[in-house]
Order: sequence, then C-alpha cells, then structure tokens
Amino acid sequence: MSLFGTNTGFGSGGTGVFGTTTTDSHNPMKDVEVTSPPDDSISCLAFSPPTMPGNFLIGGSWANDVRCWEVQDNGQTVPKAQQMHTGPVLDVCWSDDGSKVFTASCDKTAKMWDLNSNQTIQIAQHEGPIRTIHWIKAPNYSCVMTGSWDKTLKFWDTRSPNPMMSLQMPERCFCADVVYPMAVVATAERGLIVYQLENQPSEFRRIESPLKHQHRCVAIFKDKQSKPTGFALGSIEGRVAIHYINPPNPAKDNFTFKCHRSNGTNTATPQDIYAVNAISFHPVHGTLATVGSDGRFSFWDKDARTKLKTSEQLDQPITACCFNNNGNIFAYASSYDWSKMSRVNDDCYVHYYIQQQNTSILLSINYRGRGLCRTTSF
Amino acid sequence: MGRKKKKQLKPWCWYCNRDFDDEKILIQHQKAKHFKCHICHKKLYTGPGLAIHCMQVHKETIDAVPNAIPGRTDIELEIYGMEGIPEKDIQDRRRVLEQKSQESQKKKQDQDDSDEDDDDDEAGPSSFQQPASQPQAAYMPPMTQAGMHPGPQAQGMPRAGYAGMPPMLTGIPPMIPGMPPVMPLIIFLFLGMPPHVARPGMPPMAPAAPITAPRMASRPAVPATQSAASKPLFPSAVQAQQTVLGLSSTTSDSPKVTFPAYTQPSSTPSVAASSSTVAKPPATVTSKPAILTTLIAAIVLLHPDEDISLEERRAQLPRYQRLIPRPGQTAAAAASAPPSGAVGGMIPSQQVIPPQQPGMRHPIHGQYGGPPQGMPGYMGGGMPPYGQSAPMVPPYQSGPPGPPMGIRPPVMSPGSRY
Repeated sequence: MSLFGTNTGFGSGGTGVFGTTTTDSHNPMKDVEVTSPPDDSISCLAFSPPTMPGNFLIGGSWANDVRCWEVQDNGQTVPKAQQMHTGPVLDVCWSDDGSKVFTASCDKTAKMWDLNSNQTIQIAQHEGPIRTIHWIKAPNYSCVMTGSWDKTLKFWDTRSPNPMMSLQMPERCFCADVVYPMAVVATAERGLIVYQLENQPSEFRRIESPLKHQHRCVAIFKDKQSKPTGFALGSIEGRVAIHYINPPNPAKDNFTFKCHRSNGTNTATPQDIYAVNAISFHPVHGTLATVGSDGRFSFWDKDARTKLKTSEQLDQPITACCFNNNGNIFAYASSYDWSKMSRVNDDCYVHYYIQQQNTSILLSINYRGRGLCRTTSF
Repeated sequence: MGRKKKKQLKPWCWYCNRDFDDEKILIQHQKAKHFKCHICHKKLYTGPGLAIHCMQVHKETIDAVPNAIPGRTDIELEIYGMEGIPEKDIQDRRRVLEQKSQESQKKKQDQDDSDEDDDDDEAGPSSFQQPASQPQAAYMPPMTQAGMHPGPQAQGMPRAGYAGMPPMLTGIPPMIPGMPPVMPLIIFLFLGMPPHVARPGMPPMAPAAPITAPRMASRPAVPATQSAASKPLFPSAVQAQQTVLGLSSTTSDSPKVTFPAYTQPSSTPSVAASSSTVAKPPATVTSKPAILTTLIAAIVLLHPDEDISLEERRAQLPRYQRLIPRPGQTAAAAASAPPSGAVGGMIPSQQVIPPQQPGMRHPIHGQYGGPPQGMPGYMGGGMPPYGQSAPMVPPYQSGPPGPPMGIRPPVMSPGSRY
C-alpha cells in the first residue's frame, strides 16, 4: 500500500488493515473495513454521485489529507488517490457530475480536485478555517458554497479568485447542508439560517433553534416529490431535531428525539449523553442515520418516529457517515472526535467500515433502511 | 459535617399526604397526579407551572391542585418533591410521625390515647394552613415572579446557564428576599460555569433551610465532576475542573458563613420555600447536567465564555497548526518545518503565539492580488501528478513560480518570523 506514501506509523497504525477476525469492539458489526485509512481522525465522508458509475468514497481527515477509494460491488476497497492540504480537512463534497471533488480545510482554503488529472487547484480563501463546503447546481448557475469560522458564507465560481457572493452570518459556521434550492447553515450560539438558492443565494429565514445545546450537524431531507422540505439538526447533547420549513402544523410536525445516550430506560443511574457527530439520510428510503460520540450509529424513521436499529458499540466515537448514491452502502468512520479530552496519546487507529445493505433480499414495502445485513463473507 | 440534616423525614407528598420511599418516586407521583393538565395531560413540574400552562395554552384558569386533600390545594405554592413545603407543614409532619411512632410504642404498651391523638393531628395541619397562607400571600408577587424563573429555568436550564446568567445576575441585588441568588449558584454548580459568580449577591440569602438544599444538590454534582476529573485530562482541563470543584465548595461555604447575620423569622418560611424550590428542579435534573459536564467539559470548562465546537478546540492545538502558513511565511517554509520536528520547536512555537482564534482577521486576500496568469485557474502550488511524490508532504519546496501564498510583502505580519 505504498500508494499513499510512506509516512511513519502508517502501516503500523492499523490493527485491521486487512480486516480483523478478533471479536473486538473495534468492529463489532463485522463490517468491511476500508483499506489504507488515514492516520488521524476522519472528519468527513462522501460517496460519488449517481452520475458516475461505480462507488467512489472520499474521506477527509485531520492528517491534512483527502483520500479516494473505489468500492467495488463485492465490498473490496481499492485506494485510488490522495491529496494534501496544509491543515486538517474538515469537509469534502463532490460536483454533480462526479468529476471533481471539493475539499475544505483548516488552512483557510478550499481546493478543487480534478480526479481525472489528479490535480488540485485552490478555489476559495477565507479568513478562518473553512468548515463546510457544498456544490450547488442551479439551472442558471453553479458554484461552491463554503462556510467558515470567520462567520461568512461565500460562493465561488471555481474560475475566479474572488467570491461571487459573500453573506455575513451571525456566528461561526458549524455545519451546513445543501439540497437545491435549499441550504441550511447552523452556526455557533445555536444559530440556524435557511437560504434559498434560486436565481442567486439569499437568506430565506432565520430559525430559532429547536435545540438547547450547541449545534453539531445538519442534514436536509426531502419530501415524497424529492423536494427539500426540512432538516434534521443534531446537537452535542444527544438529541436530534426534525424541523420542517413550512409544515401545516408546526407544533405537531416538528419534534426532537434523544439519541446516543447510555442507560436508555434505566432512570436510576445518570445517563451519559453524547454528541451527535453526523446525520445522513438514506437517498431512497428517507430514513436517517445518526452517528455519535458514544461509538454507535442508529437508524431512524422520522415519519413513523421510531428507531429502526442501533449498532453495537464501537470502541471509539463515530465521526462521519455517508450513504452511497443508491443507499446500498452505509459508510461510517470510527475515530476520535475530541469529545472526551482524555486521550493520552495522539495515535488513533482509524478504520472505515462499509456496511452493505442487501436490498435484494431484505427490502420490502415496510422495510425502511432496516436490518443492515453484514457482509460476513469478507 | 457540622450541620443538622433537616430532612430526616421520608419523602411525602404535601398535596395528598402519601408516603414514598424515594423522592424520585414522589416527584413522579406529583407530576402524574397533581401537576398533570386535565386537558392535554401534559405533566408539568410544579403547581404554578401547571397554572401557567393552562392559562397560556388552553386559556383556562385553574384554582386548585388536582387530587389534593382539602387544605392542601394551593396552586400558588411552588412545591416540587420535598422542596417548597412550608416549614410549618414539615414540622407538623414531623410531629405527626413522632406521635405515630410514639403511638406504636404506646400500643405495644397497650395505651388507648392513640385515637384522640390522631384526630388532633389531623386537625392540626389544616388549622395551621390559614395563618400560614397569609404571610405567604404577602410573598406571592415575588414568588410568582421567581416562579416564572424556575419554570423555564428548570426546563431550559442548561441553556440558561450559558446565556441567561448575566441578566439574572443583574437582578440579584435589588431582590431582598434572596431568591434569585440561589438560582445562578445552583446552575453554576451543575454546569461548571466560571467562578465569577456574583459573590456579593449571595449574602442576602440567609437561613439554614435553603442551605441544606443547595448543599444536597451540590453533592451529586461534585462527585460527578470529581469522577470526571479522575480520568486523565489535559492539564488545562484538570485545572478547570479544579476550579469548578473549588467553586462548588466555596459557594456552599459562603452561605454557611453569612447567614447568621440575615436571619429574619418572618421571611424564613417563604425564603426557604422559594429558594429551596428553586434549588430543587436543578437538583433533580442533576443526572443530566452533571453528566453533561463530562461530555462538554472540553467546551464549557476550558472555554466557559465561548461557544466553541470540538473541531475548533482541536484545531487550536499546535500540532494542527504547524503547516498552516502565516502571513510572511511561505507555504513551502511552513511545510518543510514539521518533518524536522526536533528542530527545537522553532516553527511550532512561533505559530502558537497568535493561536488560531476562529475570528482571526488575516487579510490573506492579498494573496490573490495577482490576476490569473492566463491560466484557466490559479494554481495554489500545483500538486504534481500523482505517483511522483513519495513523501506525504507536497513538494512545494521546489519553488513553483510565484506561489500565491504568503510571498506577498507581509501586509500584516507583526514582526518577521524568521
């Protein structure tokens, strides 16, 4: 695996580079592990869009690198390429045609990575680390949206060094999501802003946060007509809020639920409450997956308001997750997210896990992203 | 501990006189039987809370606590579990229990006075209600006001701990009955808020009665934070933890010290009621905020004034800032430094000096001053096609033509870095 360079601690860093057979809490779900994971915590994952054949996974990490793997249909992963920033990579996204990857980093820049030529170009510059990056494809324009800790949201045409537009936010951007024509940004101090992207991006509404704690992750969901209609917002307090933009009955339609807590029903002992690190919606079923600092991931049905499944507990927090374009594969990253501040050393064994949904057997009308069968043959 | 334990009584419901083993069960009972809205079945936390809910949501007034025995139906009294029970009723209860235990002893000795005693005891508490309610009536206005505070406070408490503090603190000095000072105290204990509590505001709360309430409340918090501290923490976190523990111990000490000067018999029952009432909701929500401190210790304790995310916290560490170019430095220079990590930390230490605060304003836009040189894009130090470079660090060092980053005349470097 010299494809990714020979830096120290690389090969030795992983206990399960080729999969592990021990019954460990590192991979209790016995999912497939991606080969050659990064050396430091993974901040973001993104699968290639449906316009591209095959499944390519991009992961950005705190080791300043962005890696690309091809995920084959049998579950094998093949490392393909890698690029570097000069600071930890905080977010990645694909262009709609699958030819470019955009990466945002703590070094205050964002880069566009042309996968065909394996070249990167800097396309954005902020005054603070860039926390989120999203590709916007509108009928009359397309651009990259970057949200930064310098409290601005900027939109970049990749050909120009100056932003097409720069919007001021009340606070630092903590997370964002884009599903045209809607964009949601959650900021520090529990700020929540919805933007509409038709014609040109503009602020649509500032929403009072349905959560009482710091915002951590947000994901937009769509209605039956595939139009974005609301979002799920996760906080550090083990809670997710489902919020519709224009619901018929806000008091009834919007709700929050607790997740990623220990001692679910036992009220005698105090609960451990963990942060929700990422939320992803299944592209087909509309169910959502949440991953938390407690090292578990859960699947939920927001319409039936039920929990579908919770995984076993991993030995590390899960920091990122992503469904592939048809929902067959759920990728989640197990790595340290700094939530306990009690790490003694900085080494972090990081593995990706790929969980393949066997839809041909388990999918039924009532089956909403449930029961991810394990690809145990690997 | 040098302090009389006031609550030797088993928990019992003031509204219906039922006994319970555990205060938690008592509270569940109260919420289900006495503080439950008859219209929407929402369970509130207190009587006034129920009244306010019915008024705001259903536009209905409520004048008595549901399922309460006569004489105990006061909807205005802020009682939660065992907190808020008027002192007189507590003493009555104690008397009743003592008499009952005496009766059982007497019964063993075959005495017949027990029946008469029972009747007297039953009449006793209710007869005390009328006079008790009148001095309390005088405190209604401030209490309902405070009732508003604990109401939303109890539910939004962790949040109020962050943002609601300053307004509360300013309101402390004028309120003589001394109720509000207790609130921020308790909240600070549980959330580990910074030690700049308004200490001068604390003395007005005097009597021993509320003291035991906050101290009891503080005990669950302190072990929780202590257990959090027992795990290995970064040194700064450990210090902050100790600050929190220091805070909790000092705040519980100072009321102890100052109360004798402020004992006022007339205000005692209501202050006890209100302050211990206020203390109670945070105490029972202890389990969550106390554990929440473990989780958000990184955020709250280390940066108590800032709402900082885990990523920001992490990005400030020197090891993640080594490679980020500073104004006046080149990316090449920055990139070449870290591999020689043993180089006395020259680069890292310099880079740490202005720690990368999220709001830092480095007008690095100056880098883009150069117009695109006729290339379709502008190369930010073009990466060579993959496969040529083995090392992890990109080979900027070869000096690409005019790297846009940082070679500009240092627009704002405070001093030369090299």
